[in-house]
This record gives sequence, structure tokens and C-alpha cells, in this order.
Amino acid sequence: VGGVSARSDAVGGVVVHVDGRAVPAVDGQTLLGALLAQGHRVLRHNPVTGEARAGYCGMGVCFECEVEVDGRAQVRACMEPVRDGQRVRLGPATDGAAAGNGAARPDVVAP
Amino acid sequence: VSRSAGARHVDVDAVVVGGGAAGMVAARDLARAGASVALLDEHHELGGQYYRRRSGAVLVRDGDLRPRGTRLAAEVRAAGVAVHTATTVWGVGDDRRTVLATRAAGDGVLRVRGTTAVVATGAHERSVPFPGWQLPGVVTPGCALHLATIDRVPVGRRTAVAGSGPFLLPVACALLDVGVEVVGVFEAGRPYRPDRRALDAARYPRRLVELGGYLARLARAGVRVHQGWHVAAAHGDPAVEGIRLRGPGGREREIAVDAAAVGFGFRPNTELLALFGAEVRPDPATWDLVPVCDELGRTSVPGLVAAGEARGVAGVHAATVRGALAAVAAAEHLGLRGDDEIDPRLLRRARAADAFARLTAARYPVPHRLVAAAPDATLVCRCEGVTAGEVRAAAATGWNDMDATKGASRAGMGPCQGRQCAYAVAELVRQRTGTAPRRVFSPQMPLKPVRVAELLAGTAPSTATATPAVPAPPAASVGSGGSTNGRSPGTAVPGVGAP
Repeated sequence: VGGVSARSDAVGGVVVHVDGRAVPAVDGQTLLGALLAQGHRVLRHNPVTGEARAGYCGMGVCFECEVEVDGRAQVRACMEPVRDGQRVRLGPATDGAAAGNGAARPDVVAP
Repeated sequence: VSRSAGARHVDVDAVVVGGGAAGMVAARDLARAGASVALLDEHHELGGQYYRRRSGAVLVRDGDLRPRGTRLAAEVRAAGVAVHTATTVWGVGDDRRTVLATRAAGDGVLRVRGTTAVVATGAHERSVPFPGWQLPGVVTPGCALHLATIDRVPVGRRTAVAGSGPFLLPVACALLDVGVEVVGVFEAGRPYRPDRRALDAARYPRRLVELGGYLARLARAGVRVHQGWHVAAAHGDPAVEGIRLRGPGGREREIAVDAAAVGFGFRPNTELLALFGAEVRPDPATWDLVPVCDELGRTSVPGLVAAGEARGVAGVHAATVRGALAAVAAAEHLGLRGDDEIDPRLLRRARAADAFARLTAARYPVPHRLVAAAPDATLVCRCEGVTAGEVRAAAATGWNDMDATKGASRAGMGPCQGRQCAYAVAELVRQRTGTAPRRVFSPQMPLKPVRVAELLAGTAPSTATATPAVPAPPAASVGSGGSTNGRSPGTAVPGVGAP
């Protein structure tokens, strides 16, 4: 998905590092928008089913777009503004049969 | 204000949760009336969903999306409101006056105690599960809208807009604005035809002009609005590549798309009101929990006021008026206002907005039949991977209430706390048991996932090493199947106990 935003040469262009690769974004975008504009259609895999997932609600409700940002785990990409030099790690593929939700999120309290 | 490493306590006259239209108006009016006010919102900017604001270079390049929202936000700050953005409220303290929150900055728990609290937590979109709705590229209409208007990113090259409700029309228009090929708007109901109710709508000429404008824009672009059609399935690997549409008489159509925006209106966010102990009841038509409150928004808990969409979905105009009414109620509770008459124009506008909301709800009924049509293999709870068949089986074995079905199937136990699946689970249980749900998932702390390290920040180092500690579920839900997943040992974090 290309898009209106992929003009990194325009005013406000920033660079975000996604899994070590430099990708252009525009200051003012959410990380979700910037990732989608660069063709990142899959952001993580569900720890229970192993299925590919990406942003769904776009307003912080569904937690489907969680990625790691500058070492912080479980950051919702739809709630996170892009910043120049930001380091993003997409969710790794998981084996749904082996990984329960609890095992995948040992440091997070979720009822 | 007291500070200990990582934990902060703030005492105010009024704590307002939610920085959308209702919360901004309530906070501004209360501050102008002389109250000390703290306004908390999860987003990095005030505005909420309708007034979600552009920022940075996007704002400079493409201009202000909704200047009215920007003015409101400026008025809030000018009135002296203490604004806490990027702050997620996830609980209520033992005293039922303190909201518990964590900030995106990750610097520990923020506790804000108010003599009065205004809950303006807004709404989220209603999903009706279908096979493949969990595929990347299938999004809510609101997600597609924000991507288009705030990020200026098309959700896909070729996209269907589907579901039900007037909201689908502006979303389709916004997608056109960023160059998306919209293959059609597929409205599950038949709202756009002349009948008695359409005449009722004529009493709201401004709303009709708005609707007409969207329809004209779509017509100019050659985008058809198909009534009586819904998305029966989506397929693709790893992201959506096509959808199957089902229409009148069971006719089916396959369309190739790389994105689909599907949603069925909105559900009020009432979890925080329920945690505060306010009486909430399932709406008899939608099963959504709505607070029992008076015309001003006063709930069953003295000093606790509901505002905006959290009172029941009615749109931004209603939210604005309800924010003003909530400020009146909260100011009265604080003794900042005598029992002089409430501005009759305010009450008239509130009643008109409520009447329009009832009209809209009747015109776009929640299509329960689509839940019945979901095959057993359909994922219902996206977080925990629970299917419609598993929920049906749980409901059929005598687990005839929502919390028991949750306990038996795990549906609703993931990080979204059942916000995405509560409606579908309620309707599946109703279809299996034949009785309308008396209650929908009981809310549990934390309402949103919180890092253990943040909960422990500011507590004694010896406590910090005694992992893992988890807030206990509210006493009212113990034994009702609320937490059987083995992930909640039930040890209360000091000072963060359940209500």
C-alpha cells in the first residue's frame, strides 16, 4: 500500500527503524499509519492461535496492533505517534499450539 | 500533589475521564465555574474520536480537520484544567473516588481523587464476527477513517465499506479523498428508502443535508450503496484478498479487495462507570450496558456523573450537550452552583439529540440474524481464539449467563476485555438460551493491560521483587466465572485493591 504519506522528502519527513530497516514516515502520523503506508500489513501473530494480525479498531480498544517500540513491549501502534529515530520491532511469529497468552505476556496484567 | 518515586496522587474537585467532546465541555465548564479539574485521556492529544486532531507535519501540510475540536481543546487549557494526555485509566480505588491510571511514559501509577467524577469514556465500534474478520486488512470503519483523515494513509487500494449505520457514508467519502477505490458501500439494513420514519427524519433538516451530501459525493464517484448486503466471509493469506457478500434472497458475490472496513454502529464504554459501582443495565435492543441516569447524567452513585456516548450512543451533538449537563450536575455536587434553573435551551437540545438518536437506532437496527448465521468455526473472541461453536456449546451446557459463558469458554478474557466480542457473545447466549441477557461481562480491573513493573513502581523494593502481583478481581464477580484462566493469582498490589 503506497499512499499519500510516503513522501519522506516532504516537510516533516522522519525515519523510523522497523526490525532494523529504515522506513520513511511523516511527523504527526501514528505508527499504525506509517507502518501501513510502508506495506507492513502484518504486525504480529496472535499468541493463542498463531494467526497473522494487524490494526483493527484504530482507537486503542482491540490491542491487535501491539508492537515493541524503543524496548517497550506491547505498545499499541494506533496510539503511538511516530518519532524520528524510533526503533520498532514487529511481533514475532509464534507457534499457536505452544504459546499460551500468559506465556507470551509474562510482564503484563490482563484479566 | 504528592510524589513518591513512580507513584503520584492528585486531589481535585472534579476528575473527568475522557477528552472527547463531552469530557472537554464538562472539564471546561467546571473549571470556569471555579472547580479544580483534572482531565485524563488515553490519546496524545485531546479530541477523542470525532474531534481526533491532526498534528505535526500532517497538520501543517493538510490543515486542521475539525477546527471546532481544536478550539474546544484550547478552551479547556485556557480554563485552567490540568490535562493528562497519554494516560490510560484502568481502575478505581477502594474509596470509589480515585481513578487509577498509567501513562504511556511508563512512570508508574497515577491516582486522581475527585470529590466528583465525570465519566465521558465514549464508545467503540460494534463488530459482528464473520469468518476471516480477524485477517489483517479487515478493520473497523473508524480505523479506516482515522488512517485516511489523521495519518493520510489509504487503508487499501481497493476497499469495501460494509456493516450498518450512517457512519459508513462519511467513511467511504474519506477513503475516496485519499485515493482508495471504494468497491461499494454494503449496508446490511434498508435505511435509505422513503417510509414513515423517513418523514420523521425530515424534522432534522441539518442531519438530512449532511447525509445527502455524503450520498451525492459517493454517487459522483460512482460508488453504489447496496442495501440488504453484508460480508459473509473474508479470505486471504496472510492478509485479506477477497470478501464474499451475501444479499437479498441469499444471493452471493465475490469481490477482490485488499481491505474491508466493517462495523455496525457503536457501543458505549461503560466499564469504568460499572467499576465505580454505578447501576448499569443491558439495552433491550442491543444488549449494550448503559448507565441508569437522570437527564443531567447523574448515576446511582452520588457525585458520579456520566456524559457523552458513555450514556448511550447519540453522536457528537448529543455528547456536547451532555458534557454541559454533566458540568451542571458536578458543579451542584461541589456546591459551586445554587439550585437555579438549568438553561431550558440546553435541555431542549438534549431532548432533540436523544430523539434523533432513537430515530437512528430504529432506522439501523442491530442485525442479530448475522450472529445466528455465523458458522461454528467463526472466531468470536479474537484475543483468546474462541469460536462461535465453543461459545454456543458453553451456553448450551447450562452456562446461561454471560460471565459463566466467559468462564467456560474464555471468550472475553483477553487484553481487549471483551470489548470486541461482548455483543456477539451476548447474542449467541441469548439465541441458545432464549432469554435476553440480564447482564453483560462484568468489568474487571485492570480495564486495560498494565505492566506489572508499573504497578509496582513506587512501592517498597522488597515488594517489587515479590512478583507477580495482580489486582484482585472485584469482589462482586468472584465465583461468577470472571477469572478462571490461571493468570490471575489474585494477590492485591498494595494500594491498588479492588473496589
